[in-house]
Amino acid sequence: MTFISDIGHLLLTADLWRATLEAAALLLLPALGGVISERSGVVNIAMEGMMLAGAFFAVVADLAWHNPWLAALVGIVAGGLMALIHAVVSIRFRADQIVSGIAINIFAAGLTVFLVNRIFGLQDVGHVSPSELLPYVNVPFLDQIPFVGRVVFQQNVVVYAALILLVVVQLVLFRTRLGLRIRAVGEHPQAADTAGINVYLIRYGAVITSGLFSGLAGAFLAIGISNTFVPNMTDGRGYIALAAVIFGKWTPNGAFVACLIFGLGQAIYAANSIIHVSPYLLSMLPYLLTLIVLAGIVGRSIPPAADGVPYSPGTE
Amino acid sequence: MAASSATVAQRPSPRIPAPIRRMARGIAVPVGSVIFAFVIGGLIVAVTGGNPFAAYLGLVCGGFGLLCSGGENPALQLSNTIVFTTPLLLTGVAVALPFRAGLFNIGAEGQLLAGAVACTVIGVKFSDLPAPILLPMVLLGGTLAGAIWAGIPGVLKATIGAHEVVTTIMLNYVAQWLVRYMIVGGPLQAAHGFSSSAPIGAGARLPTFLPNDNSLIVFGLPAGVYRVHAGLLIALAAVGVFAFLLWRTSLGYEIRAVGQSQRAARYAGVSVRRTIIVTMLIAGAFAGLAGAVQIAGVDHSLTDKYFTDTTGFDAIAVALLGLGSGVGIILASILFGALHAGGSVMQSDAGISGSLVLVLEALILFSIAANFLSTIKLQIPRIGRPGLPAMPGAPPRRGGEATPGP
Repeated sequence: MTFISDIGHLLLTADLWRATLEAAALLLLPALGGVISERSGVVNIAMEGMMLAGAFFAVVADLAWHNPWLAALVGIVAGGLMALIHAVVSIRFRADQIVSGIAINIFAAGLTVFLVNRIFGLQDVGHVSPSELLPYVNVPFLDQIPFVGRVVFQQNVVVYAALILLVVVQLVLFRTRLGLRIRAVGEHPQAADTAGINVYLIRYGAVITSGLFSGLAGAFLAIGISNTFVPNMTDGRGYIALAAVIFGKWTPNGAFVACLIFGLGQAIYAANSIIHVSPYLLSMLPYLLTLIVLAGIVGRSIPPAADGVPYSPGTE
Repeated sequence: MAASSATVAQRPSPRIPAPIRRMARGIAVPVGSVIFAFVIGGLIVAVTGGNPFAAYLGLVCGGFGLLCSGGENPALQLSNTIVFTTPLLLTGVAVALPFRAGLFNIGAEGQLLAGAVACTVIGVKFSDLPAPILLPMVLLGGTLAGAIWAGIPGVLKATIGAHEVVTTIMLNYVAQWLVRYMIVGGPLQAAHGFSSSAPIGAGARLPTFLPNDNSLIVFGLPAGVYRVHAGLLIALAAVGVFAFLLWRTSLGYEIRAVGQSQRAARYAGVSVRRTIIVTMLIAGAFAGLAGAVQIAGVDHSLTDKYFTDTTGFDAIAVALLGLGSGVGIILASILFGALHAGGSVMQSDAGISGSLVLVLEALILFSIAANFLSTIKLQIPRIGRPGLPAMPGAPPRRGGEATPGP
């Protein structure tokens, strides 16, 4: 019984929910990218590699230029370039999008360690000094609200950015002409093409956007939450984001709910002094929950109709 | 006779026998992809201020024991390559078989880990049993665990259509965290402070080809350093079973039928659901066996090495590069085995990080998936066609070339 009351106690602390939101935001960015990409009909399992590239290049840029904003931009662009490879290979060359995604992840894992070795030799990458990290900013007045202020308004700038992007993506996808086009291209590209929509342009844009978002998440991880780069530091987060996309049934809001659930799990075991369950067992939860969703126990999760199908004009 | 010589005249290059021509056509894409990867990889090394030739010499030395500059022992390097090749053969089959049924098994890694965990559990718990009993037990245990790990996505796919790519990815991570749980603070941890299990019993170990006896000197080194083990024979047999199963049994026919067209297979009386589940079970069995063979043959305990194991992902490249054929899988496994064995020599001799191997692997995957070669050929037909002598069957056929001699 003490276990349950301990958990109950923990759930009442603002710090736990603050950590939950932070962890969720880190997952939300690549998940939003995944939603956009898959809604346009391009399967994206490459968020892991795009994040990793973003993390590495953000650290390198920050160490060189001592400016976190510029560094974040470099991370975003690095993620976008990774996505560009995925886009060219899977849209232009009509490659299998899953193979291409796996290749991106292997490529990023190999390239980052290779470059660490080339740039820093056998030494450590080095640490970014605290004043050159992406800052935590308290929102004036709002941060004084009891509980909510601590949870929502005393966060890293990237957390605010992620929440704004959530709203923007949800609105764009379901309330604008562009969103309608993206969804049309993902459901029935032939029909969209007939209606005068440039299928390739939409898909390129969607895939590259997913890379920009994932790159920002990587920068957040490396020079916001952490202060250095270590090999494979994303540690499966890109795949958890993929799980969130499916868990959330390919909608931004749904993905956010999934990220909050997965983030809560992470926050609970980060405060593990009172939890007597192995953090490793807890780490399985996002994947197991997604399996349960896929198994149809909590409602079916159905991808866009043309998801993963390369488009070539004139085929039906 | 005149009629038969006319038919011959219609075929291109009659001097090259048909089987060789077929083979050349099959080999063009994978060989081209590997060349593409090495060229781009070399550019990446050169751009970052390294010497690509030194890097690749290191790979050749480390992989095949040839052209060594750092005093490496060629026999040891070859032995290392074979050790790396062994699990790739098994996991390669575990990816290639579902490919034939139109299924993408990204989960070979998770299935391998499940097999490794099961093998370790049995090998540690029953460590006192003699080899004739314990060795089959650990190998079967690993095989079974892998089959179950792949069976879950198989059943989910067959019954409710959950995409096997996503379910196998999820199960990869479940397996990875399971390994961490098991040996860090979990039931398999050998002692506090170690991230490793206790060693499996002596009876659970696969014999090595050379005795583990350091007074015996083979090729200038103690025999114990050569780790090639009986798992190689198991793996080669598995590739044989794969080819036989696929081409000589009715199940293999059903697998191929389902892969070509589920609807057609259904009309032909094939149970698509049953075939999907059985295919995944067999694939998982091979991958699980790979995990068991690694524990029983090489590591003898579950260690933190398995946190970063990539054999199951390399297997995707092996299956694709090997074009899903038995011979192809063997050749591709040797290539990736050599690359992995060569990576460390490249690092020590040429100062180029062994991670370049991953970059090369990714480039090979890009190239095969995108089929850059044939696209380039389509784009620039004049340069493309004569530039690819390995595709003699490609139209248009030129009569002059094919006219038989007097």
